[in-house]
Amino acid sequence: MAEPREQEALEAGILARVGRADMTAFEGLYDRYGRSVFSLALTMLRDAEAAQEVVQEVFLDVWRTARAFDPGRGSARSWILALAHHKAVDAVRRQRLRTTEPLDEGMANHQDVAELAVAGIARGRVRAALEALPAEQREAIALAYYGGLTQREIAERMRIPLGTAKTRMRDGMLRLRGILGAHYEETER
Amino acid sequence: MTHEELRDLLPAYALDALAPDEARAVEAHLATCAECQAELRGLRQVAAELGTGVPVVTPPAALRRQVIEAARPRARVIILPQRWGLALGAAAVAVIIALAGLGVALDRRLAAVQERLAAQEQTLALLASPSAKTAVLAGTVPGNVRLVYDPERRQGALVVSDLRDPGANLVYQVWLIAGQQPESAGIFRPSPGRPLIIPLSADFLRYRLVAISIEPGPRGSPQPTTTPILSGTI
Repeated sequence: MAEPREQEALEAGILARVGRADMTAFEGLYDRYGRSVFSLALTMLRDAEAAQEVVQEVFLDVWRTARAFDPGRGSARSWILALAHHKAVDAVRRQRLRTTEPLDEGMANHQDVAELAVAGIARGRVRAALEALPAEQREAIALAYYGGLTQREIAERMRIPLGTAKTRMRDGMLRLRGILGAHYEETER
Repeated sequence: MTHEELRDLLPAYALDALAPDEARAVEAHLATCAECQAELRGLRQVAAELGTGVPVVTPPAALRRQVIEAARPRARVIILPQRWGLALGAAAVAVIIALAGLGVALDRRLAAVQERLAAQEQTLALLASPSAKTAVLAGTVPGNVRLVYDPERRQGALVVSDLRDPGANLVYQVWLIAGQQPESAGIFRPSPGRPLIIPLSADFLRYRLVAISIEPGPRGSPQPTTTPILSGTI
């Protein structure tokens, strides 16, 4: 297993080759990230078919836009996960438009997804970081990230003013960065 | 919005929790603000941790094939710039035959202007080909589809314009028909508003018909599974 820093350079290199339309590199990229993208989409959508569609969209987008990837702006891993999350959120919102259930039930469903996701977090470090947050910050972040809700929807859901929802999300993210950040410092050196 | 206000939106932006107009404002600001770019880098790492923390489930093996197939360059399809649509005819015949004949390896960068110019030059040299013929395809859907071919060179191409999208997960498949068993000559999906050229190599004198049917994508079918929507006599 390569060191994180080497790993990051290696993955940026693979993405650069994908940007030059290198099919072998693209297959390698799928083998590295296909499972992560699928697992995230499945957690958020709870529908294997919809999750597979997200995987297809994500990798087709990676194939088309890899040339625009700038390693100065972040790792290949962050870039692909951000794209995967973005597509999965779009799919969650489409799913929500299609369902005819009453709004309250729809919202409850998103809360379930968020709570289940947090409960299911397998990696100890991420789990410990989430558990270190005040409950209301953790809930705001989970509803946004795993539930696919916007700040405004979270405020409605939690019955709090929009400004409070924004603050909870921001404070929670900065805190997570503080907790998880020590790890990044190590990998940056 | 001020820099401070936009910077404060970055955590929610990294979580994809902003309204579309807010997200656009953040993106416009990010393009020119190095401080916010650095800030977002750290926040995206946090988001990626949340994303990779979920229980791992292996997707079906078939998904890998689909993803890779979808990305594979459609090496045999040339998408022409719009303005060429007006002049599709003799020039198209020549371009097609020139490209197919030269076996030009076409990847997605072919659209580059330089190569188009080179192709045009080669075309001019072949414009005089006296043996080129045309078969017009007609049928149950609107569309402007012709097979232009040179029996002597055994090169030709399907010139397609104004054919509508076959539908999600479906492709058009081209068949050459001699006897009872149609032979697949390739698949394509139209590009809205832009003419397409699909180069074909075949002994055209052997066939009596060319036909197009709608088939499941991305690979099409070994034999037609639907009634052809367009056909023409060779």
